Amino acid sequence: MVKKSNEILSVNALKIGYLSGKRSITILHSLKASACEGELVAVIGRNGTGKSTLLRTIAGLQPKLDGTVMICGKPLHEYSRLGLSKEVGYISTETVRVSNMKVYDLAALGRFPHTNWLGRIDEHNHRSVLDALAKAGMSDFKERLISELSDGERQRAMISMVLAQDAAVMVMDEPTAFLDVGSKFEILHLLHELTRQRNKTIIFSTHDLTAALNQADKIWLIIGDKLIEGAPEDIMLSGAFNNLFDKNFVSFNQSDGSFFVKNEIKGIITVEGTGINKFWAKKALHRIGYKVTDSGTCNAIVRTPDKAGSDWIYKTGESESEFRSIYELARWIIQNEPLTACNIFCDSQ
Amino acid sequence: MNSGIEIPLNSRKVSQRSHLGIFIILSILTLLFFMLDLFLGSVNIKPYEVIDVLFNNGSGNVETIILNFRLPKALTAMAAGIALSISGLQMQTVFRNPMAGPYVLGLSSGASLGVAFVIMGFSAGITPENMKLTGNFAIAAAAWAGAGAVMVLIMFISSRVKDIMTVLIIGIMLSSGISAIVSIMQYFSNESVLKAYIIWTMGSLGNLTTSQLNVLLVSILTGLVISVFSVKMLNALLLGENYAKSIGLNVRFSRFIIIAGTSLLAGTITAFCGPIGFIGIAVPHLARIIFKTSDHKILIPGSILIGVVVMLASDIISQMPWSDNVLPINSITALIGIPVVIWVIVRNRRYAEIF
Repeated sequence: MVKKSNEILSVNALKIGYLSGKRSITILHSLKASACEGELVAVIGRNGTGKSTLLRTIAGLQPKLDGTVMICGKPLHEYSRLGLSKEVGYISTETVRVSNMKVYDLAALGRFPHTNWLGRIDEHNHRSVLDALAKAGMSDFKERLISELSDGERQRAMISMVLAQDAAVMVMDEPTAFLDVGSKFEILHLLHELTRQRNKTIIFSTHDLTAALNQADKIWLIIGDKLIEGAPEDIMLSGAFNNLFDKNFVSFNQSDGSFFVKNEIKGIITVEGTGINKFWAKKALHRIGYKVTDSGTCNAIVRTPDKAGSDWIYKTGESESEFRSIYELARWIIQNEPLTACNIFCDSQ
Repeated sequence: MNSGIEIPLNSRKVSQRSHLGIFIILSILTLLFFMLDLFLGSVNIKPYEVIDVLFNNGSGNVETIILNFRLPKALTAMAAGIALSISGLQMQTVFRNPMAGPYVLGLSSGASLGVAFVIMGFSAGITPENMKLTGNFAIAAAAWAGAGAVMVLIMFISSRVKDIMTVLIIGIMLSSGISAIVSIMQYFSNESVLKAYIIWTMGSLGNLTTSQLNVLLVSILTGLVISVFSVKMLNALLLGENYAKSIGLNVRFSRFIIIAGTSLLAGTITAFCGPIGFIGIAVPHLARIIFKTSDHKILIPGSILIGVVVMLASDIISQMPWSDNVLPINSITALIGIPVVIWVIVRNRRYAEIF
């Protein structure tokens, strides 16, 4: 059991949505979730399920419709704007577009709750800003104008702003949205590090399931109108991920946590070989729509190269073809589609 | 690690030093144009006579011209430059719109409605000649009341409406509506009254008595103090409403304060000098380009100095040295402001794309 005293954020019977005039539009209700100090929480759900609304409500940017949000043991609505900004920071994919603003200036604005009435950046604040820039990997960019940055760099600049704000809870709506794969992992690594070294609590939404499963301490999974929370592994074991996507198109492998797109199955092929050659050959055959078996019951067989420089071999009955690469092999199979017979044969097993 | 921290400290100092240099140049220009504004005019007065009047006691006509006409006019020009530039800068930041200015919320049309009531509504007998005698303070008071009424209305709306763009659109609608009322009044007015009104819309820096100038300066000073206190809010507002909130800004309160300050500054100038256009839009852009920063700690004093210099220059041109004619100040500021805005857009495409 997690000790209650550690709990920095808790959401109870929360109803979120929008107020328009006298009407209110509910997006999600009866939400219950929590996060402890120093935890990295990934919020996962399909587009339009209310992830952003939930994060905006927690960050105090949008009024809740009902229920409670407790931050550091105090209800959200009892905080002043300034008081809340010391406890909760927020960034989203919305970028700041201002000409003549340097990356340093942007990060320095994160110090807003900590500066005097004129917003003066003194020595202490200056060091915090530099530290935030360094953490976000933007040290070399601090004199650059934000209007001249790429999307990924601008996202990092925004992250440096929220780091400079130095709040106990950081809410990030898709912080890795515009980043390339490498930067994605760097940012996730950074978030992970912040939770471990600085004891920050980070709630972030993402569509990158693999990364979230690897890095997050906790997942808030929004499916339908429910929020399920737990360690990534708990949720994996519960099988809840299977419901995340349309089962007709995407399937989820519960044993290793990977997702793949379901293609129409055209037939079955046996792959003979070992190691990574076999692994990637199976991947390729999956992609072009074939089921793969290990045992040689099919009359269609792919044999992987046994030593460096040798060819990929495709064998049906008597005919045998050789290919230099998986690409050539796959092209040939797609074009010749020779497997109807095999299909019938294998289905009977 | 140590060297990694020292370099940025230095680079901060470098940019601070270059800002200081620009401030010094602008201060010198301000002084220069202020003196020129006193030296030049329809009556030819030698510079040493002017200095004599200012620092010792001059005599006769020269003293009257300098102390009663040229000095109040130069001070009014400076006040107008300060007020319009700051309020333009504030409105551009609050609305995150490069084409916003002091009058974007309908201040000037509110003022013109007040003036139209005084000139065309109640005293049908006023002519441009006797306007000075009877209606000068009345006109200022009416303009102030009109601008104030619009301001209160806008403040009320902005406290009720969440989206700042809605406030902007309502401001524009309001100002068009008021202009329509003024047009109807103009349509039913006789020629001389119409001329008196038209002359007011052209703006004038020279109609102020000493007591009016005192009112003007106190109001501008108050607006200035408010704008200094709004520096931090303005910087936060650059980020847009969401981020401004998330870093701890009370957005509605700060909007209220900033609009109040702007209304006081621009409303006062409009009341006493008429609607002076273009300064409020052009000067903040000039400040951003000259100082290459988005920080209002720099932009506010920068806009003040640039606004003062531009306004003094406009005044010098409008009084057409060595001639008896005076051109309407509004035309001069437009003729100076328009090339500036065009130059800004053409010269600096990147700047024009992203405000």
